[in-house]
Amino acid sequence: MNNRKKPETEISNPARRKLLAGGLAASGAAAALAIGGRQAAAAAPDPAITKIQDWNRYLGDGVDERPYGFPSEHEKEVVRRSVSWLTADPKSSVNFTPLHELDGIITPNGLCFERHHGGIADIDPAQHRLMINGMVDTPLVFTMEDLKRFPRENRVYFLECAANSGMEWRGAQLNGCQYTHGMVHNVMYTGVPLKHILNEAGIKSGGKWILPEGADASGMTRSIPLEKALDDCLVAFKMNGEALRPEQGYPVRLVVPGWEGNMWVKWLRRIEIGDQPWQMREETSKYTDLMEDGKARRFTWTMDVKSVITNPSPQAPITHGKGQTVVTGVAWSGHGKIKRVDVSIDGGRNWETARLDGPSLSKSLHRFYHDFNWDGSELLLQSRAIDEAGNIQPTKNELRAARGQNSIYHNNGIQTWHVKADGSAENVEVS
Amino acid sequence: MSKFRNLAVVAAVVMSAGIAPALAQDVGAGKKLFKKCVACHAVGPDARNKVGPQLNDLFGRSAGSIEKFKYSKAMKAAAEKGLVWTDDTVAELITKPRKFIKGTKMAFGGLKKEKDRNNIIAYLKTFSTGSETADAAKTKTDDQPEKAATTVTAAPSSRNLPIPQHGVFHLGRKALPEEVNAWDIDIRADGAGLPPGRGTVADGEPLFAENCASCHGDFGEGVDRWPVLAGGHDTLKEDRPVKTIGSYWPYLSTVFDYVRRAMPFGDARSLSDDDVYALTAYLLYVNDIVTDEEFELSRDNFSDIRLPNEANFTADTRKDEPHYAKNSEACMSDCKPGPVKVIMRARVLDVTPEGDDGEGAGPVD
Repeated sequence: MNNRKKPETEISNPARRKLLAGGLAASGAAAALAIGGRQAAAAAPDPAITKIQDWNRYLGDGVDERPYGFPSEHEKEVVRRSVSWLTADPKSSVNFTPLHELDGIITPNGLCFERHHGGIADIDPAQHRLMINGMVDTPLVFTMEDLKRFPRENRVYFLECAANSGMEWRGAQLNGCQYTHGMVHNVMYTGVPLKHILNEAGIKSGGKWILPEGADASGMTRSIPLEKALDDCLVAFKMNGEALRPEQGYPVRLVVPGWEGNMWVKWLRRIEIGDQPWQMREETSKYTDLMEDGKARRFTWTMDVKSVITNPSPQAPITHGKGQTVVTGVAWSGHGKIKRVDVSIDGGRNWETARLDGPSLSKSLHRFYHDFNWDGSELLLQSRAIDEAGNIQPTKNELRAARGQNSIYHNNGIQTWHVKADGSAENVEVS
Repeated sequence: MSKFRNLAVVAAVVMSAGIAPALAQDVGAGKKLFKKCVACHAVGPDARNKVGPQLNDLFGRSAGSIEKFKYSKAMKAAAEKGLVWTDDTVAELITKPRKFIKGTKMAFGGLKKEKDRNNIIAYLKTFSTGSETADAAKTKTDDQPEKAATTVTAAPSSRNLPIPQHGVFHLGRKALPEEVNAWDIDIRADGAGLPPGRGTVADGEPLFAENCASCHGDFGEGVDRWPVLAGGHDTLKEDRPVKTIGSYWPYLSTVFDYVRRAMPFGDARSLSDDDVYALTAYLLYVNDIVTDEEFELSRDNFSDIRLPNEANFTADTRKDEPHYAKNSEACMSDCKPGPVKVIMRARVLDVTPEGDDGEGAGPVD
């Protein structure tokens, strides 16, 4: 039924990488020709109109050909991709959301980036349990059926890996917003407010922290302050209306709005309440931010204000030549809603305020557009987000001045794409 | 409906559920016998601690776990070793309390006859909501027992049971101590949660070679992109810091916890606690934090060991950075002195991260 070929999802061979990068620009130019570039007048009738197409004459597939639908075969390049040389093993690795292929604010379930520390746990929901223990009046065990009897909420939140853009601390490295910014996705979750579940067990006075734990082979654990747990965390079992995908924590995951993705424990099986943080591996040896002076910040939970232009970008060159052009991208902040996004076409010297469109929700992706008439000259494209708390997205050099280049995590600096006259784009840094 | 009514059916249920010991149990006889106990122990809706702790929900409960009751040192010690009250342990206790728990405050001589013990246990179980006996008894007391019997096909364990009393929505069920013990294996920085056990550097070395060295190298130096575990001292301010247990990690408890929960990669939870102590000791050794190959790590000396970089972790101070200073306005025009120049280009995807930057999982971890 699904005879789509598995696309190349890994960039591993340096020679191939070069080829691919060159090929992107070339195919962009070819596309521009094929589509016609600037069409002031048609020289000859367009066969796409004058010829009767097969799909117009013959019957298509019936309703049950795709009991669970999948995208058109013409969209087969729209997939998550990984960079094999980043990690030691695909079981503890990451791939990236193809931001440049998406629009609006919702990330389709099959394209949400993946990050696992012990592979994808394959869990029979009938055998899954959620335990609440520690400083509670009554330690409890819930089945999935039990969880679905609590009052539910629907909320749209972005999830960003703390290491998103982490490869760019030392300078421009990866050509494509999928690789530089693709460790983010935005999903509508259906779930139970965590406070309902914790209150069911009864939190003892003195309880100040929770330790969510995953059922996967890494036994993922993170310490989270109780205040956050009782504020807006969800125990979610649906994403964008359907069951969580296995790679996103099926059958149930924690949602920790605005905070780094590692804390959103997938395959959630236990939450312990305690009076101090545990200092687990993922909050000491990892997900701590090493500063230039050799000291390291810990518990850097919130994802700061950030944005990126997704089109044009290195994987999505301008193919139509000069004239009316849509520049678009996404912006988000762990501090709340995005108040404003500015776009610069001259490397941050002058700015214009972009148009936000679509739902504006707290701790969710926002979509912005900058519609302008491209004169065909080279562009140094940047976007700069401002959140409702007044935080302005910093430049990469401002971040480096404050932190050095070894902090790996929380790089929310302004991204620059160099768009050339042929419409191709490259990841650059500017003066 | 009283939750304690219709107790006579319990014996039959216990028999059919196969939980019961060899002899039949008689709740009524147990109730009578319990008069020997009421001077010290209470049961029922208003039960409070007296000379002894109240005995509601006894079965499945950890010994020494009633808050506010002052247990003997002996009982606390037994509790620490994981004593949980079950049919068998209660039977053993009431056979001769001071033999079972030497030093207990329980001044009761004991019940010599097995039948008496079984009857008391049957009676006490009618006050244990977590016990299958009590739940089963309550199911049987349902007003429509036959209907209950015919509708349980989908989820026999959850249908038509009485609604639990905990919480607001009364969802979920009480976790048994054995269940909590099976999952609650986390170790905190102060050593809370460490299991009994011990292991030396010398014990750890062959274990490391067998289970860990294929990825981490014989001495924790790391193979390919796998994490480097040792060395890297004084590199944190360098261009390419090497973040290891010795050079970076703040707490030893993290090593024990992580190895026990997630290592070896692909065969988690396969090491014994002694193995984990030995491997942790070996990792201290390859990081020069202990120097004696005979050094033995155990729960007793674990918290004496501090890792060198502990003091170098600080709070999140991002909001104090100049670019987040309040009241700043975003510049809109002529924000840079002259035309902007490109100063660095992506090296077009052929940047292979250097192999020596410390975190095998590279910058995305």
